[in-house]
Amino acid sequence: MGALEIINFYLVPGIVIGSIYALGAVGITLVFSILRYAHLAHGDLATLGAFLALGAVTLGGVSPYVALPVAMVLTAAAAVMIDKAFYAYLRERPKIVTVMASLGVALMVRAIVQVVWGVDSETYTRGIVRPDVWFGIRLRDRELITIFAMIGLVLALHVFLQQSKWGKAMRAMSDNPDLALLSGVDNKKVVMLTWIIVGGLCAAAGVFLGLNYELKAMMGWTMLLPMFAAAILGGVGRVEGAVLGGLIVGIAEEMSTLFLPTEYKAATAFAILLLMLLVRPTGLLKGKVL
Amino acid sequence: MSDILVMRDLVGGYGDANVLQGVSMRAAKAEIVVIVGPNGAGKSTAMKAIFGLLKVRGGSITVDGTEITGWEPNRIVEAGVCYVPQVSNVFREMTVHENLEMGAFLRTGDLSAAYDRVYTLFPDLKERRKALAGNLSGGQRQMVAMGRALMLEPKLLLLDEPTAGLSPRYMEQIFQICRDVRDTGVTIVLVEQHAKQALAFADRGYVLAAGANRHEGTGADLLADRDVADMFLGG
Ligand SMILES: Nc1ncnc2c1ncn2[C@@H]1O[C@H](COP(=O)(O)OP(=O)(O)OP(=O)(O)O)[C@@H](O)[C@H]1O
Ligand SMILES: [Mg+2]
Repeated sequence: MGALEIINFYLVPGIVIGSIYALGAVGITLVFSILRYAHLAHGDLATLGAFLALGAVTLGGVSPYVALPVAMVLTAAAAVMIDKAFYAYLRERPKIVTVMASLGVALMVRAIVQVVWGVDSETYTRGIVRPDVWFGIRLRDRELITIFAMIGLVLALHVFLQQSKWGKAMRAMSDNPDLALLSGVDNKKVVMLTWIIVGGLCAAAGVFLGLNYELKAMMGWTMLLPMFAAAILGGVGRVEGAVLGGLIVGIAEEMSTLFLPTEYKAATAFAILLLMLLVRPTGLLKGKVL
Repeated sequence: MSDILVMRDLVGGYGDANVLQGVSMRAAKAEIVVIVGPNGAGKSTAMKAIFGLLKVRGGSITVDGTEITGWEPNRIVEAGVCYVPQVSNVFREMTVHENLEMGAFLRTGDLSAAYDRVYTLFPDLKERRKALAGNLSGGQRQMVAMGRALMLEPKLLLLDEPTAGLSPRYMEQIFQICRDVRDTGVTIVLVEQHAKQALAFADRGYVLAAGANRHEGTGADLLADRDVADMFLGG
């Protein structure tokens, strides 16, 4: 097999799915570092976002790229409401209670998606898209857009966290929550802001997964493990780390099919996660130890 | 009455047990009040209680005439109280300048005068303003912690062992800064391990033991007190 085949059939799909994992992993890492629990409903929020975009596509007749920002806003609102309805009451309790509650929320969100949109697979657009060929490398528009949208969203988040007042408040809350409170930061606002960002990122991950593959009720749930693996691989609390982790997990999953039957693809993320926790629990970019 | 801080019969603790068994103290405007006492006396706990970082079960805390017992921390900061905890008192993964920015979180408008003031008080910090606070030496980190609290231009400044682990030179510098800040009209309440030096420099002092008031008076009176000397001042 030549280099071009490896690039076209393994590397490009790896980078595309890796970009999608990255979008999810960034949200997971934010929740981990600011709210301090593992959010198991993360994948199903992505599913919700994907189907909300489908709603905009079928009802509004718009392209999925126009539906994307709509879905991001709606999912952000849903995330804020879920937090207020379920997680806010548990804030003072041990974090494991919230982790379990988020599992319940995951099942609930999925059930709502199944009731509204059914259990069959859907797509945003019908028909086959022919890839463009650049120096022998085959790329579809949607693949390029996925990669660049991920880069754009992460850069925007980075600038927000580094430069803006409330971005700094989020970093402060992640760094030293007590001191952030003592500096006058309103924790409730930081929590809400975190959910707005995380909800938006979840929707983006879901929409791009739906664009490149298909939409089904289980789509987000099956992404949960690779997204967590990516967040931990990159170092908890590290946005750049989550991106790096997402790309590594995505590429590793695709490459694994060179040597292993495709059924083992999902196990690759698990293997990476275990290996990382054994060898370097702080992640590649030295994040918090869980 | 020009008392900035009044704490009356405070009772409270972390779990079910009460660490504070009725602590009372007050601090007037532009006064330096020092709290001393043996390890585990509840000095830090008394300071944390002001910010509601533990369960307060009885008593009251008043700042400048307003009762603040049970308020959210951000409202207490808004009321003009800043607190430098004994441990983890900087944002380690943020730069020195960002730490100061967080101190001014509730302030709006032009802050350049506030930055100038802090950087003039702590010239070391100006040089290292882009360094991560976690990478600084202990003394410099203590300065970042104080600088962060001063950014808000509080009326009441609470310092928990600002000189812990510092060399005598740094300690003298911190005390001098406290005096300068006091002279701008700020009330300072500080906990000190170096009881002798602290009582000599403070306007008034409280001796806490086992979660209750043991002695109070001017620094000089306490230094002269036989019981206080026996308790922990040494020879
Ligand atoms: N976070 C906490 N949770 C539970 N108990 C605590 C906590 N912090 C302090 N204590 C207990 O409260 C009591 C008073 O502690 P505190 O820290 O107020 O003492 P201190 O006078 O500041 O002592 P030091 O001079 O060592 O700083 C001690 O018995 C301590 O074990
Ligand atoms: Mg203490």
